[in-house]
Parts: sequence; C-alpha cells; structure tokens
Amino acid sequence: MSTLRGSTAVAGIGITPHHKRGTGGPALKLALEAIVAAAEDAGISPADIDGFVSYGSERSEGQKMMPALGTKELRFAALAWSHGGGIPGALNIAASAIATGQAETVVVYRSLSEYDGARLQVDVAQNDTAAQFLVNGLDSPIQMCAINTTRLIEGEGVPAETLKAMAQAGYHHAQQNPAAVGHGVQLTAEKYENSRWISEPYRLFDSSRENDGAAAVILMSAERARDLTEKPAFLLSAPLGTPAGWGPLEGNQNPLWSSGFSSVAKRLWAESGYGPQDVDVAQIYENTTGMGVAAIIDHGFCTLDEAGEFITFDNLIAPDGRLPINTAGGNLAEGFIHGMGLVVEAVRQIRGTSTNQVRGCSLSLMTGGPGDAVVSSALLGTEETL
Amino acid sequence: MSAVFTQEKFRGGIAADDKYWEALADGEFRLCRCAQCGTWMVPAHYRCGACGSWEQVWPLVEPLGTIYSWTRTRMAFPRTEARADDVPFVTALVEVDGTDGARIFGIVVDTGTAPHIGDRVRGEIRPGTEKSFGYPTIEWQLVDAPTPAPGAGSTEGARA
Ligand SMILES: [Zn+2]
Repeated sequence: MSTLRGSTAVAGIGITPHHKRGTGGPALKLALEAIVAAAEDAGISPADIDGFVSYGSERSEGQKMMPALGTKELRFAALAWSHGGGIPGALNIAASAIATGQAETVVVYRSLSEYDGARLQVDVAQNDTAAQFLVNGLDSPIQMCAINTTRLIEGEGVPAETLKAMAQAGYHHAQQNPAAVGHGVQLTAEKYENSRWISEPYRLFDSSRENDGAAAVILMSAERARDLTEKPAFLLSAPLGTPAGWGPLEGNQNPLWSSGFSSVAKRLWAESGYGPQDVDVAQIYENTTGMGVAAIIDHGFCTLDEAGEFITFDNLIAPDGRLPINTAGGNLAEGFIHGMGLVVEAVRQIRGTSTNQVRGCSLSLMTGGPGDAVVSSALLGTEETL
Repeated sequence: MSAVFTQEKFRGGIAADDKYWEALADGEFRLCRCAQCGTWMVPAHYRCGACGSWEQVWPLVEPLGTIYSWTRTRMAFPRTEARADDVPFVTALVEVDGTDGARIFGIVVDTGTAPHIGDRVRGEIRPGTEKSFGYPTIEWQLVDAPTPAPGAGSTEGARA
C-alpha cells in the first residue's frame, strides 16, 4: 500500500458555470474564479495556496495567478501527463508534494476558454496528433475513440446498448442539476437512436460537450483538512501510469478495445485496500460513451462478457443503481471542463451534497481520460474508510 | 525526394517514423524492424526496447492485411475539412500480414457499405494530396475473398 494513502484530503471545491464555447471570457480569470471559490469553500485565504498542479495543456500557470491571488510564496508547481488521462494523477502529484513537506496547500485545477485559447479541441489535443491519423481523415478524438470502440463492440461483442446507457445516465442525472448544460434535455432512447452519426459507432450524444470554464479542488494534509471541514474527502489512492503495450502507439495498443487502465486499476485497488465491489459511486470520464464503458470494464466492475448485463441505465443511476455514474451529468450532460468537473462531483458525493446523492456514500471513484497515452484513477473516501 | 510532406510536417508522432512516409513517397511500403532481434517496431522508434539495439532495418512489406478496426466518418472535421466532400468515408486500421500484428491506418476505397473486422484488404500507395496534407498514403481496397469471422486474424493479447 502506498504511504500516501489517506495522508491528504480535499478540503475545498470550486467550479465556474459551464459557459458556451467562446463566451466565458479569459481562461485565466475563470481559473481565478474557481480557485478563489475553492479557497472560500475550504475556509482559507487564496493567498495561502502555495502549490499549483494541473494537466493537459493548461495555460493558467500558478506563477501567472500569483498577483491576483496574493500568493505569499509559490513552493510547488507541476503538470501531470498526458491529457485528461492525467487528472487523478494531478491529485497524486499534489498529495506527494504535501506528504513530503514541499507544499502545504495545493490547488489542482483546469481552465479552458476559446476566448483566448485555440479551438478547444486543438487546445486539448495539444496539437500533437500523429500523421497516421491526420493524413487518413482522423482529426477529432471522437474518431480515434471510435476505432477503439468498434473493437469493443464488433470485435469483443459488447452490446452497443451500453453506449446508450452511459449517455442516458448522464442526461438523467443532469435533470436534477440546474448547473448542468443538459438540464432540461430529456435524452430518450428514441432521441439517442435518431441523433445523427458523427463517426461510427458514435452518434451526437456519445460525445462530450465543449465549454469554457474552470474547476479546482484544494488538497492539504488530512489533519489540517479535519480542522477546517466537517467532511474531508480523503485521497486513498490515485495512481498514474500505463502498461507495456499501451501509450501513443497509433492504433498498435493492446488490447485496443480497452481504455488503458489495466495497470492503474490494479494499483488503485492494491493501494486503497478496496475493490470494485466496495465503490459506492463513480465519475467515469467519458470523452465518448464507449471509452467510458471500457473504463468500467478495465476497473473490474464487470468483464467483457458481463458488460451488456451490468452496464444498463438502471444500474448506472443514483440513488439505487449498482454503480451510479456521472451523478452531476458528466462530461456529456453537465459540461466539459476537460474532465475536472468530475473531481468536484466525486468530492460532493463524499460530502453528501450531490444533486443526485448516493445514500451512505463512503467510497467515491474518479477515472481519468480513457484511452489517453497515460491514464490515472482516484479513489476518495470518508473518515471511516481510512 | 520531392515529397511535399517534409515542408509541413506533423510534429505529433515520433520522427523515427519519418522513413515510413519517405518510403511511401518513393512508392514503397516499408515497415520498421529491429536490425538485431527482428522485433517489428510500428510506429518506429530510435532504440529497440526488447534488445537495446539502436539499429533498424526497413524491409519491403507486401501491403496485404486484415481490417482490425474501422470507423466511418459521417461529418467534416475542422482539420480534415478537405475531405468534406468525401463524407461518409471509412478509415480502417489494418493488421499487416507477416508483421506480428503491426497495424497501419488508411482510407478504405468506397464500396458504399461499412466494412467488417476481419475483411481482407490490399493496399495501394497514393501520392500526397491536399486531403492528406501532402503526405503519401496507403489506400486499402477490399479483397474479393471469403470474409473470415469477426476477430479472425487477431494477435491481440488475452482479455485484461
Ligand atoms: Zn531488438
């Protein structure tokens, strides 16, 4: 078990509205809004934040925000690889910094805006798409994910209905969350099935939305978090990694149906001392529904053969499903701040403040960007789970 | 070498793989192997992680294989807008015969229907166009042969 287990906790969360693309204003300002909100939520001064950790192509660096936050001293700053795959890994980096005394109060955040950034899709992909994709008509992540998911459905026989279940679960939860972009949008089976194809096997509702916004969580030592807040969300484990045979291999990853979590999931359960059967609720990063389905399988909630039976709408919804997922709506229906909103929701479930609260929730999972060259997952728990 | 792609090269991949495109520009389908232990290296890299050799060879490979996966793109995307008139078009990931399962992407010549995993294909080398950003490409054509069952020809590892 990792010595980091339970040594740190999330004490503050902050998230901006999910603005329509290009209407949210500068990303740096959005980052400040989310971070100040997270500090207020934790009951600390923003000036006390001494560590900044993000992932992907984050451009709102801590050093850029210091004058506005009143930062006394920046003692730690880092970026986790790769794209959305690195989100829980960013929590792990923050926890490592705190546990080793390099920083005391570390914010993990992400800000996105087309106001002053490149088109979001380009920004997120860091413009590092290989020639093999682009010269063969593959531009968007949804097309590349489609290649993996064809393997999952046609190659491994996982029913395509699992994709619909993922999409409908997110939209179902968004109906209780007034802050969700998909609030008020009923995604019936008919509406899903009649939506236009984007890149087979994906339809319009299989792909995440793009928004301007920012989200942040503040980590600190478990002791300090207990002093500050009634319900710290303790970080039990948040491994980042990739096994041999996975990575930026341009379609040569094995097994290609997967989301690349095999090694990370193994470490997550070993480090935390828990297993999939113990998890109360999960925020499953779904850049596309099929990759979310593969992430659920990768983490051992079901096998390929059981996927059709397990990954159903009824099983995926709060409060009583076997594995309620994306309880604020997820990337599909809450909105897309490069997946960071999922971390905020994972913490809400531990606090008991989700708009789709799972009763008696004590173990809350967040899985990072599936299919990324490097991935990570985080398990958060209540005091009783330590 | 008159290849246009070297003027506007994508930086996303690993430059060790440039020889793949240079060979295609010369009308040859060549894939990378370790010069010492023979491990296929697709995409190519600078050092063989299996044996430690820094030397590679690029043997000629017959462009024949099996569709491992595919997608049919149904809308125009920003960076590949030059293909807007081709929508819907199929991009396949093809497992190349005799390479221990190395996979290469390519457009599938339009047959009006979606392909299947396991379909046999033969590749034709096409010169670079605006659609391919000046890069030469391999275009896959379905081979008129009995279709193996889905998943056949796979060298994929055990289910994780
Ligand atoms: Zn070798």
